[in-house]
This record gives sequence, C-alpha cells and structure tokens, in this order.
Amino acid sequence: MNRANALREVLRSGPGFGGVSLLGLLIVVALYVLLVFPLDFGESQWSNPIVWVDNPKAVPPVWTNSFRRETRPPHRIFEGREPHTEQMARSGPVHSWRFPLTYTSSHPPTFLAVTLADVRYEERPPLVLISLKRPDGKQLRIYRHTVRGPREGESGPFLRYGQTPLRVQLSTDEATVTAVQNFLADEFDLRLDGAQIGGRVDRFLFGFPSGDSEEAFVPLTGDYEIIVQAAMREEGDSVGRVRFVVGGAVFGLMGTDSLGRDLARGLLFAVPVALFIGIISALMSTAIGTSLGIASGYLGGRADITIQRISDIVANVPVLPLLIFMLFIVGPSLWMIIFILVIFGWPGLTIQIRSMVLHVRTNQLVEAIQSLGASRRRVMFRHILPQITPYVFAQLIFGAPAAILSEAGLSFLGLGDPSIPTWGQILEAGFRTGGIYLGYWWWIVPPGLCIVITALTFMLLGLGIEPVVNPRLRRSPP
Amino acid sequence: MVGVFFVVLLMLVLTLGLTGFSDRILAATIGEQLRAERTALAETIRDPDEMEKVLEKRREELEIFYGLRTPWYYRLPSTALRVLTLDLGEARSLRSFDGSNRVFDIVTERVPNSMLLLTTSFIITAIIGIVGGSYLATRQGSWLDRFVSGFAAVSYAIPTWWIGILFILILSIQLRILPSGGMYSTPPPTEPLPRFFDLVSHALLPVITLVLVSFGPSIYSIRTITLNIAQEDHVKIARAKGLPESRVRLRHILRVAAPPIVTGLLFGLAGSLSGSILVETVFNWQGMGRLYYDALAGTPDENVIVALTFIFTLMYVMIRIVLEVLYVFLDPRVRYTD
Repeated sequence: MNRANALREVLRSGPGFGGVSLLGLLIVVALYVLLVFPLDFGESQWSNPIVWVDNPKAVPPVWTNSFRRETRPPHRIFEGREPHTEQMARSGPVHSWRFPLTYTSSHPPTFLAVTLADVRYEERPPLVLISLKRPDGKQLRIYRHTVRGPREGESGPFLRYGQTPLRVQLSTDEATVTAVQNFLADEFDLRLDGAQIGGRVDRFLFGFPSGDSEEAFVPLTGDYEIIVQAAMREEGDSVGRVRFVVGGAVFGLMGTDSLGRDLARGLLFAVPVALFIGIISALMSTAIGTSLGIASGYLGGRADITIQRISDIVANVPVLPLLIFMLFIVGPSLWMIIFILVIFGWPGLTIQIRSMVLHVRTNQLVEAIQSLGASRRRVMFRHILPQITPYVFAQLIFGAPAAILSEAGLSFLGLGDPSIPTWGQILEAGFRTGGIYLGYWWWIVPPGLCIVITALTFMLLGLGIEPVVNPRLRRSPP
Repeated sequence: MVGVFFVVLLMLVLTLGLTGFSDRILAATIGEQLRAERTALAETIRDPDEMEKVLEKRREELEIFYGLRTPWYYRLPSTALRVLTLDLGEARSLRSFDGSNRVFDIVTERVPNSMLLLTTSFIITAIIGIVGGSYLATRQGSWLDRFVSGFAAVSYAIPTWWIGILFILILSIQLRILPSGGMYSTPPPTEPLPRFFDLVSHALLPVITLVLVSFGPSIYSIRTITLNIAQEDHVKIARAKGLPESRVRLRHILRVAAPPIVTGLLFGLAGSLSGSILVETVFNWQGMGRLYYDALAGTPDENVIVALTFIFTLMYVMIRIVLEVLYVFLDPRVRYTD
C-alpha cells in the first residue's frame, strides 16, 4: 500500500479523521504560539507577578456574562502616552488625558488602580491630578500626586518611575478615601468615617445611595469620564505613560487565576509544550525500544538475554513512584522529565518487536540476503526494520498520550518544570491554592480538557492508523 | 519478580549514596543520639568545656560506628538494610496521626488506608469487568459493544485525577452532595455504625473515580478474552453435547478464560497503584499517595519520599507474586517444580 492510499484510508475511518483534524488544529495553535509568544514566556511573564498586577484576581471569563442575569463588570484598561490635550496655565503647561468609560454593569468595579511611568522634568516636579466625571454630572478629584522631587546632589533633568513605575491602588489609598468622604458629605449629605469607605471606594464612586441604609449604594450606569491631568512647571517636562485600570469581575477568554494571570495565555503556551513532550518522548522511547528489540531478536545469544532481562525489570517496576523519586532527586526540568519518561517508556515495545523480529528473520527474503553476505547491521536496518515499520509507527503514536498524561500527573504533584507553564502545573496551582474548593471552574476545567483533547488526538490517530498498518486488524467485509 | 525488587532497592540505595543523602540520614541520627546523651551527661559533668570535649569524642566514636567516616559505597549493605526496615530517621515536618515524627510510623499507618481504597475499587472494577465483559462477548458488534470499546480507548486519554477534581467541583462544591475530601468528617463520629457510614460517604467519590477510568478497559479486555475462547472447539463440542448455555458459559468459557482474566485484572491493580497516588492527593485521602504530595510540598521531606518509593515497589512486587501463586490454582498446566 503506498503512502497516499494509506493516508486516504486513515482519513476514511472515523477516529482517523478526527485524529488528523485535531492534530492539524493543535499544530496550527502551536505554530501561532511559537510565532507570537516569547520563548521565555514562562520565566519572563507567566511566573513574573508584576506582569499580572493590573489584572483582576480569580475572575471568570467574559463570556460567562451571557449566562447571567446580572452582568459583571468587564475589565477596562486605559492607557495613554502622548497627552490628549495640552494647555498653557499660569504655572506651566498642563497635559491631560481623557478616558471615556461607558458603565453598564449592575456591580461596582472590583478595584481602581493608576500607574504613572517615565516622568521627566527639568527643575520642579509635576503634579498629577485624576478626576472622575460621573453620568449625573458630578465630578470629583480622586487622586493627587506630586512626583518625587530632586534628591540631594542630583542634577536635572530628573527621570522618575522609569524602571519601577508608580502604581497606586486607589481603592485603599488614603487620599482617595478622604476625597470620597468629602464627596459623599457634599453631594449626598452622608457622613461616613474612613473605615466605612476604605476598600469600598469603587462602590461609592460608581454608585448612588439606594436609600435602604447609609452605606447601601447601587451602581450608577452611564457615561463616565476619567480625566488625568499633569501640571508641568517647564516646557518640555513630560509624563511618558498614564494607565488607569477599572478592575472587572470578568476577564478575557478564560478568566484569571488567583495571581491575576491570564489563563488563556497560559493554556495557549502549554500547547506546543505538550506536543513537544509527547512527540519527543514517544520518538526517543520508540527509537530505543525498536533498536533494542531488533538487536535482541536478530542477534540472539548473550545480547538477547541481557536485553530481555533489563527490559523485563524496567517493564515491571512501579513507574510513577520511581518517576517521582528520580525527579525529586535530580530536580525538575523539562528535559529531565522527558529523559525519565523515555527511560521507563521503551521496554514494552522491545518485547513486542523482539517477537516480531524472531518471526521475520526466518523468512526466505532475509535468509537469501544473509546468504549473499550482507552485514548484520545491513540486514537489521535495511531489511528487517522496513518490515516492522508500520507497527512501530502505530506504537509511536500511542506513546505520545502516555507521555503527556505522565507529565501532567508529575506536574500536578508539584514536580513540573517551574520555568515552563504546562496544563498540569496550572491545575496544580488551582488545586494547591484551594481554587477548586472555591468553585473556580474556569481554572480547573479548561486545562484538564486540553490534556484530554491532546491525548485523545493521538489515541484517535493511533486507532485510525492501526488497522491500516496491521492487516490482521482490518475489518473483514460483513 | 524478586529480581525487580532487588534492582529497585539497589537503585534507591545507589541514588541515596551518590547524592550524599545517606550521609545526611546518618548525621541526623548521630545528632539525635548526641542530644539525648547531652541531657544525660549534664547530670554528671558541670564544666561546659569538659562537656564539649566528651561529646566531641563521643561523636567521633559514633561516626566510626555508623561508618560515616568511610565512603558511602562501603555502607551500601547497611543503607539497604535501613531502607528495608524503613529505619530512615525522622521526618522534617510531617507527623503521624498521633504526633510521632518517625518515618516508619508516618508511612506504615497510611498503608491500610491506601489498601482500603485500592482493594475496594479493584473488587468493584473486577466484578463490573467480569459481568460486563462476558455479557458483551455475547453481543459482539452491537452498539453497546462499540460504545464500550470506544469508551475504553478514551479512558486511556483521560487523567484519572482530573476526573476526581471534576467530581469535587460538581458534586461537592456546586451540589454539596458528598464531602470533598478527607476520610472522616470533623469531628469524626464515635459510634461504630455512623463512623462506618461516614467513611463510606468519604470513600464514595475516590472509589467512583478509580472505577470510572478503569472499568472500560477491563470490560473490553475480558470481552476479547472470552470471545477468543468462545470460538474454540471445546466450546462447540460442549454446545453440541446439548449442555445448557449457562453451564457452557460458566464451566467451558469463563473457567478457561480465568488465568488471562486474572492476569489482566491484577495488572490493572498494579497500574492503578500509580493512579491512586494522584486520586488520593485530589481527595485528601490519608493514604500513601497523599503522603507523597504532602512530602513534596514546601521543603520536601526526603526520608518520607524514599520510604514511600520503597513501599510502593514492595506492594507492586507483592501483587505480582500473588499473581504467580494464583496462576498455579487457576491454570492446572502451570506447576512450579524443580
């Protein structure tokens, strides 16, 4: 059967078709990830909390809103570099940024945060003011900050917040709390103390009193505007970047974990990793298993006995405990995991290949070639190997899901490579931090589904290919 | 099988030696003994300098006695003996249920809990497998048959422990039907009967999880074995003799199929040792699997991990020995003679 025919036959079977299309999809995703994500994504982003600081913590995906009666607020990030308007005031130029925000949710935002970065000034530090304009026409100043002045002995121009931008969580900021306190007293004639306001600033800023009790506020929907103004002292002073975050209770395609990490990104990055682990360890253990099997079956004698003894032992050890033990001793790294999976992965194949080779070596073709004086290596690899290749190929495919599941299990026990996110590690984080007991399903279900889909892809491929390469399994016509 | 046992033991011991781990265990033992002696000596020796001198001398004696002064490979036999008897000193942070920190106590008290979970799910899987498999063999090619073979294939692609997590998420957290983990409620019931039912309600989810992923393959393999035997001549003869169908099935098919069926089931049990490590972890079942997880968390408890790896190997080997003994009873052709 030639290759094109074989492929057609695989595609014609249900599992084969499913397997091939799923594998195609996975490969496309993997290529996309390799093109778009930095290769050191794990270290530079995934395990770097600063990257995720502006994200809401442990919130479900955005699309869950369509299943709820009350929509949860989406996450909004406003960022400005060049000022939207520049005015001249008596004290100097005033740069301002205006961010319009249409608020429709029936819940208040989860937090408010502001970030200033790359401030540059010649002599005297600029003053940054942030105001909120509400749909009911009321406006209040929620934040006021004077950039840190010159240190002793330092000479201008002064650069501030370059390496470490200034980030302020307004929900707990003292000045903001005072501002809200005054606002409530002036506008609604409500006198609350700081403790009643602290941490719940968002509710008051984005709401109006419902009248039930003093502190009961219902969200006020409509068009808001966030106005950031930087009062400079000199021409040429600047604020390089302004960022205002209105924390949501839903985020992205897949939600976030308890550190605010975007789960969609982690899940995506794990696709090529899983394929890599599955394919590389299947390839290596198949290569070892096949060559040892051929050697054992064809050479016979002492080589055969030695290989059989070793494979008997390795095939009969409890794999997971030893995997745990060895990984624990050598320390978790992706290559170590693959290496150890390969060490325990080859014997089953060796035993099967050996019995096939014992059968093949007695056929007339091989005997004829031997009598022509072909070397042993030539017979093994040019004449025996091609005859068992189809079978080896099917086994190669069945090897991949086993490796992927093992890696996931090891990662779940906390033995994953910490520099590379995998689905098992995402699940481990969700389990260890108690996410599952809080019902954070978006943290638990998708990574598991990804594992199942990837493993299933290879299972289906194998099931589709097996009857093609193994004539005995071909279904006889009814 | 005994060979496997010794190879694993040797591997454990070699790794312990090569990584300097056996040195650390010994040093800890000596330190512990010295501490005990210091309190005893404090009764007689008042002078602190004198005391230090005596203790230093004693330390030297002990180090020579335990062989800490000789390279690790001279100590292989004694390290092997330590692993064999689980004499691995004290755990760093883990404690047994009544507060002991000896590795031996911590590990051995978990064995029955693990066995309880494993054997229960094994028996259920075996029953479902035998009943379902021999039934399916009579319905070859039906939609149910195709469904089960598909289900068996899918089972290999599903992480058992993730199914457990889903159960917790749905049944324990959302619907609040069953407890999400542990073996007993807090506080545990004291009366025997409520205590038993409490245990059952906690064991339900882990057992269902273990059974769910293993019964598909088990039914499928038993179906295939019975099908093969049902096509043999002696079965046709039995039918031709006019024996009742139930008798043919029980005496002529199942009896002959028993050895390979038992082999398959016990292999499955040995395989689910690995699965149970993760399932116990998920359900906080106080067995050896969960102990692995706890020992790996934070600052790892090395001694406990060594002990657990050893015990799991031991259990695995024992299951295989049971299998070989059972074979003699099940298959009259097998006899171990010299």
